[in-house]
Amino acid sequence: MSSIDYSRELSVIEGKPALREIDDLIAKPLETKPNIKFFIGLGITLTMLAIGVIAIGLSFYYGTGLWGNNNPVGWGFPIVNFVFWVGIGHAGTLISAILFLLRQKWRNGIARFAEGMTIFAVMTALIFPLIHVGRPWLAGYLMPYPNQHSLWVNFTSPLLWDVFAVSTYFTVSFIFWYVGLIPDFAVLRDRTKTKIKKAIYSVFSLGWRNSNRHWQHYEMVYLVLAGFATPLVLSVHTIVSFDFAVSILPGWHTTIFPPYFVAGAVFSGFAMVQNVLIVIRKVFNYEHIITIDTLEKMNKIIVLTGTLVGYAYAMEFFIAWYSGVQAEQFTFVNRAFGPYAWAYWIMITCNVVFPQLFWSKKIRRSIPVMFVIAVFVNVGMWFERFVITVTSLSRDFLPSSWAYYTPTLTDFGILIGSFGFFFTFVLLFSKTLPVVSIAEVKAVVDGSQPSHEGH
Amino acid sequence: MSEHNTNIEYTHRGIPPVLSRVSSALLLIGILVAIISYLTDPVRSAFNNIVLLMLLTSVGVGSLFLIGIEYLAGAVWSTPFRRVFEFLASVVLVIPVIAIPVYLNVHSVYHWSHTDAVAADKILSGKEPYLNETFFLIRLIAYFVVWIVFYFIFTSNSKKQDKTKDQKLTKRNIRFSALFMPLFALTLTFSAIDFLMSLEPHWFSTIFGVYFFAGTVLASLAAGTFLVIMFVQKGYFIKGIIKDHYYSFGALLFAFINFWAYIAFSQYMLIWYANLPEETFWFINKWEGSWMYFSIFLIITHFLVPYFALLSQPSKMNEKRLKFMSIWILFAHIIDLYWLVLPTFNPEGFVFSWNEIGFIILGLGLILTMFNWKARKENIIPIGDPKLKRGLDFRL
Amino acid sequence: MNKKYLYGGVGLFDSPDDIIKAASETSEKGFKKFDVHTPYPVHGMDSAMKLKPSKLAYFSLVFGLTGTFSALALMYWTSSIDYPVIIGGKPFFSFPAYVPIMFELTVLLAAVMTVVTLISIFFKFPNISHPLHDTQYMKAVSSDRYGICIEPDENHTIEEIELFLKSLGAKDITKIYYDDEELKYKNVILQPKFLLFLALIAVIVSGATYFSLNKLMFMQPFNWMREQAKVIPQESSAFFTDGFGMRMPVEGTVARENLPYLFKNQPEEAGKFLINPLEANEENLNLGKKKYDIYCSPCHGYFGEGDSRLRGQFPNPPSIHSEKVRNWSDGRIFHVVTEGQNIMPSYSTQLTNNERWATILYLRVLQRSFNAKESDLR
Repeated sequence: MSSIDYSRELSVIEGKPALREIDDLIAKPLETKPNIKFFIGLGITLTMLAIGVIAIGLSFYYGTGLWGNNNPVGWGFPIVNFVFWVGIGHAGTLISAILFLLRQKWRNGIARFAEGMTIFAVMTALIFPLIHVGRPWLAGYLMPYPNQHSLWVNFTSPLLWDVFAVSTYFTVSFIFWYVGLIPDFAVLRDRTKTKIKKAIYSVFSLGWRNSNRHWQHYEMVYLVLAGFATPLVLSVHTIVSFDFAVSILPGWHTTIFPPYFVAGAVFSGFAMVQNVLIVIRKVFNYEHIITIDTLEKMNKIIVLTGTLVGYAYAMEFFIAWYSGVQAEQFTFVNRAFGPYAWAYWIMITCNVVFPQLFWSKKIRRSIPVMFVIAVFVNVGMWFERFVITVTSLSRDFLPSSWAYYTPTLTDFGILIGSFGFFFTFVLLFSKTLPVVSIAEVKAVVDGSQPSHEGH
Repeated sequence: MSEHNTNIEYTHRGIPPVLSRVSSALLLIGILVAIISYLTDPVRSAFNNIVLLMLLTSVGVGSLFLIGIEYLAGAVWSTPFRRVFEFLASVVLVIPVIAIPVYLNVHSVYHWSHTDAVAADKILSGKEPYLNETFFLIRLIAYFVVWIVFYFIFTSNSKKQDKTKDQKLTKRNIRFSALFMPLFALTLTFSAIDFLMSLEPHWFSTIFGVYFFAGTVLASLAAGTFLVIMFVQKGYFIKGIIKDHYYSFGALLFAFINFWAYIAFSQYMLIWYANLPEETFWFINKWEGSWMYFSIFLIITHFLVPYFALLSQPSKMNEKRLKFMSIWILFAHIIDLYWLVLPTFNPEGFVFSWNEIGFIILGLGLILTMFNWKARKENIIPIGDPKLKRGLDFRL
Repeated sequence: MNKKYLYGGVGLFDSPDDIIKAASETSEKGFKKFDVHTPYPVHGMDSAMKLKPSKLAYFSLVFGLTGTFSALALMYWTSSIDYPVIIGGKPFFSFPAYVPIMFELTVLLAAVMTVVTLISIFFKFPNISHPLHDTQYMKAVSSDRYGICIEPDENHTIEEIELFLKSLGAKDITKIYYDDEELKYKNVILQPKFLLFLALIAVIVSGATYFSLNKLMFMQPFNWMREQAKVIPQESSAFFTDGFGMRMPVEGTVARENLPYLFKNQPEEAGKFLINPLEANEENLNLGKKKYDIYCSPCHGYFGEGDSRLRGQFPNPPSIHSEKVRNWSDGRIFHVVTEGQNIMPSYSTQLTNNERWATILYLRVLQRSFNAKESDLR
């Protein structure tokens, strides 16, 4: 252990593979026919998706009364799931933009996949506000356009900010992802033997020629996009937190919500990326590209964000007591010891306690353990949103209107469906596009950059 | 083999003479003005003393944080400059001394220290278990102990490494940094609550610790950036510091300018939007009379000017601009602290005269004196650090 | 085969150090049109090729600021000018609440337009018809080798270029030719046909959006809840023979609290036969005071002295403390309130019958207070 040599840089990619080997390895899933395991996986996710489609179909037919949402808990599963999925997306942008700005080379191996997950997670998240409004076909009214009612949208409403934030986030993430894909499409175009594929890749690569006169602007754009995506990713979950925090409901109205939500989003997003990457690197033999060191670094970020989230929990509790406001004090005692205490303690255990195991280097580098902890983190973060949304609403200022929220089968069906939706896209993505950025990985292989001796 | 075998050419040259002259001048003037100020207007001086105390906390503890984060993140670009922050962190040694006058004047600055007023106020008597003089003193001692202990741990390991080149010392400091981070978060948050938030004992905000943290990092980073650029320009630093290093400083300053604005805006927006009387009065106090202009001035100096000055890539690498902006940001942080503290002293409008200037001069004098005291005899480069060579070779 | 035209000479290298060296030598040698092709961006290449820093970031700044200010302008105009609505007690122009959307639009516009600028103006893409495409050279540089391509100019012929490449140590030196198609190729982006096509798409998309949001949504079967089997006020009905949707009330129906007045133009009879039905209790007197203060006091004054508050814009009424009025019965006064007198209008629409009687009770109190009897003082 003490044999780490700090005076030498660790290789991001193990074993110094030849550049052509990287092409072969990353393009392999695209050039081979999917095997039976893939179809089994796809079958499972499609079944989950079908459950969700049925549940949503029933909700359309019978109405949202099929859900557990009722007075006083008007924001039940749909909002919990929305916040959860938007949060999952944040890790992708963090890896691709923030770590890029911080010049963390180890991000290059995982950025593409994480970006893809961002896009799918945001798509999944968008289902929920759409069905929660009850009349999804009227969603057009969310856009400020001169309509025949001559009415405008309410620009002071955080729910409208969400519309702008999430749609901007999706668009920018998608552009970022596509810009990253352009050189890889060129690689595939020059490799492929079939004519149809070649035509498709040619179109998508836009005629990329690997010219350095292009690389120069390309890198600038990448920097600019990363510079925009970084505050954007902060703003998205900040605005999601505003949905809660601009109200005056105890437990929702607290000023730490914006950074706390962002930390939580990154936390759960990293856990999800971790889970999927562990499978991907095994199945596609990417162990030397997505190295154990990379996974260890991700675990460090998980423990960091987990601790930040723990700090926010503690701060909320302390200030609730310190504020001297009776309703605040009650809400937090109620969270921890009221009817939803079970959810609260699941959240604390999964989010604050389990990630602390990552202080140990052995656990940080053990793949089965980190997989399990990452699953726990996801569960915990889902429960965090549940605790925030439901406990505050179920016992508000009026004791006569207190009620216990119970989700229905339909709610769970939609939740399962959302996972099916997300993982179906992940599976299709893994077989149709390079899940690791070819150009970016090549750029960080040992010996791929000129040595500085001559300078 | 835990020793590494990278060698760096470096000769210790001490500090530029102008720096030592300026620092002793600032210190003398500062002490003189502060004493006169205490003799003429002790209440006002006590409030200014809090500004001074929090400025030193920002620079000293913020530097400790930057040292710790470098070890934890395994950053290399900042290794050549770590000593600058280690020297700046020595400010934590004088913080307890500066805190004494505040503690002695606790009745004139902190409303909650009057037991009769607390007994008459239902909310304050609810906070009594936390906000009372005994516990206040215990907490202060706890903060100072944590900061000073970690200051000695970090610097002594780093100093030892100059001779031994032992990599185990780096590892040890990484371990201690991991331990320090949670303690740092707690001590910084609660010191912000104790010294700044409890000035208005009825007010509360969960984000307040984060708000002060943003300012803290900015202040220590700005102070460090200024000293680094000055030492490099005068030739007292090691050779091989290039634009890429400056760019990293500039980018970090820029990032934390934005972070501060983000946190400040979030706090303001949520309180403005919900409009609860128990929260809004804090901002209304800062919008009363001439404080309104001061608040606007704060937004301009602390966000708009540095934001546009450091926005473009070339400006982050431009040493002249960076040097100017780091001083600017340090002063913006002082303005921020002033904005947090002084409205409690004079709610009608802001007051600014020789008392305030004296304490600011004293603060700068103390920082520079502590820095000089260390820099005069110790290497300004961690020559034994295994990451130093990589740090000097750093390219974007 | 089609006729071919020369494009330039290319050579390949195997390591990043070699290509950096080759690039800097080429740029020093004075070749004007040359380019380096690498599978990934190689550090230090820009300075080796002596390229100027990219100006692209300035475009982002301009687009970003456009986004910020157009968002602000839109929100200001819609919520302060076009349709101001008070929301949550906030001012029409609530800047803090606009910041999130200003920020989002800044990022959206800047990000999208930067990439569009990059692709269409800086790269002149899409262009899948370049002489370098589909060559062995391109296949090599997109995978694992580093290439340099030099085009002949007025000072350098192709033979010189090949010699120069050989002197650099390049391998696989070849000449690259245009074919017909590539020669004729023009960037599609700025061609009028393409622009027309874009304009057409814009028109179609916006038209379709307008149609579906403003027309389609209001047609069968998308009329959602608007079409219901119920009678809408003021609409005609096919069900009733008279064609009215609303029904006439039954003969003799009287509106609540609005019994018809039987003594029109008969003040003396009213005074004789009408009796105040209300008791002079606290409740009624309070009601009477309230109504008196609202409806009567503007002209008669708070104490009935005729001291109008209308500053002579109306002739002042006589005092109600006169002998005449004091001797009137309640019914006589009721008649005046109901029918009006001289320029005093009727108050029958403002005051219900009971309210009128209550007002009269209060009026009696006022009269008594000005002409108290000995017994009242005890």
